Amino acid sequence: MISFAGRRSGTAPLTWGQRAIWQAILRTAPDDHYFNFGRVVEVPRGARPASVAHVSRGIGLLVERHEALRTLVGPEPCQDLRDRGELPIRVAADADPASLLAELSATAFDYAEEWPLRVALVTTGGPLREEEVTHVVLVFCHMAADGLGTEQVVRDLRLFLLRGAIPGDPPRQPLDLARWQESPDGRRQAAGASALWEREYGRIPPTMFDRPSGVAEQPPIRRAVLTSPAVHMATQRLALRYGTSTSTVLLTAVTALVGEVTGHESVAVLPIVSNRFGRDTRTAVTTLSQEGLFVLGSAPRAGLGSAFPDLLAAARPAVLRAYRSGYHDPDDRERIVAEAGRERGVPVHPYCCFNDMRFAERVAEHDDELIRRARAETSLSWPLSQNELNCRFCVHVSDATRISVTADTRWLSAADVERYLLDLERLLVEEALR
Amino acid sequence: MLKERLAELVAESCDGEISKAEALEATVPLSYLGVTSLAQMRLIDAIEREYGVEVDLGGDISFLDSVDALAAWLSAAR
Repeated sequence: MISFAGRRSGTAPLTWGQRAIWQAILRTAPDDHYFNFGRVVEVPRGARPASVAHVSRGIGLLVERHEALRTLVGPEPCQDLRDRGELPIRVAADADPASLLAELSATAFDYAEEWPLRVALVTTGGPLREEEVTHVVLVFCHMAADGLGTEQVVRDLRLFLLRGAIPGDPPRQPLDLARWQESPDGRRQAAGASALWEREYGRIPPTMFDRPSGVAEQPPIRRAVLTSPAVHMATQRLALRYGTSTSTVLLTAVTALVGEVTGHESVAVLPIVSNRFGRDTRTAVTTLSQEGLFVLGSAPRAGLGSAFPDLLAAARPAVLRAYRSGYHDPDDRERIVAEAGRERGVPVHPYCCFNDMRFAERVAEHDDELIRRARAETSLSWPLSQNELNCRFCVHVSDATRISVTADTRWLSAADVERYLLDLERLLVEEALR
Repeated sequence: MLKERLAELVAESCDGEISKAEALEATVPLSYLGVTSLAQMRLIDAIEREYGVEVDLGGDISFLDSVDALAAWLSAAR
């Protein structure tokens, strides 16, 4: 256990991002451990040897600095920021950091009672030499932070280990963010975003995967992971050739193929948007990411059957609209969804999402031969199955060479998931080699 | 002066991937120099805050592709 004492306590409404993930958690329970995620931080060479007491002190400083790490989910629900408390720290000698990460991630957080951070320190040493920490395992509750938020925590931890202090003022805290979102500036942002949802919800297909597959697995949720260096190289080449990001290339290809599989003329995908475009939110430790709305095929002259370069050109403004729609008030969106459902006489929800979880990348050129040869290294695996998920089709880009589809097989069979991923690879490689 | 400041915001938005001078002198669309959609969103946010304008993403947004076009758009929008 380590004790911490922060500067303030208080309560505030949940932020937009917290509300969005809270809804997803409620819809996915009891399988909501799905949203836990973590990081293994190797103690940098320049910080060794680091004692358990020293690293623990660093963890305490992190919790004091970033209020998200000492905020519980209060009633109604709300943010319940505590100023002091004790955080359990597990010390495991000679343990495998990856197994610890899996173990600490395996159970859902007790949102009202448990600190949103689980910590384990891996140590080495023993009777002959002094015990030292080699790895820090951090598992986060998604109510506390998203991927980019935890990246900030990890940076601070590394800084502490190397320099013994974390310089500078902390970034904007979730309590203050919730208050900004209710201010006139926040409401203006919300209005701009909800106008984009409103416009599209009147005309997108009610849902993307609307025909039962007839061959559901038991349990029905399955994940297939495509590992493909060829996709990585092809995507980079396309991004360079068309002056866009690999993320936009992938989102466009994913969307075009959803159109092919489902037969819809216009396709709506919900990309997870970081919502860190402003200077004030860029380094905040909290969950800012939310779903945006990306629509392709509804604009004239950019039907989904168009050539890939034309689709990319149409995707460019559509991506910016999706980014802006991401930073929205979930209550506005709920109202728009309900109204669209009433007016159209059918519930409207794409149930089709895209999450590019990479932080940053350097794009490089690869020659034809390299891309062709890389196809021999492609593999596919099925690492996950569960009962509940708040979506029917989720694409995750976890690193440059790994793309997964987590699907509800009641709506897309396992065989079709596999075919989809291989078609995605083929589309990208063929376009790159064109 | 306006162009100088806009070029600075472009450079900041893409974490220095291109410099202020490169943004000013670019002869190809900025997106080909490394101003990705993410950098464009940062740029839009910075411009909206600094100049109190609102960028309509439903319309033509090709003005994001050069400092000259940005300056012209901004002068008309203010």
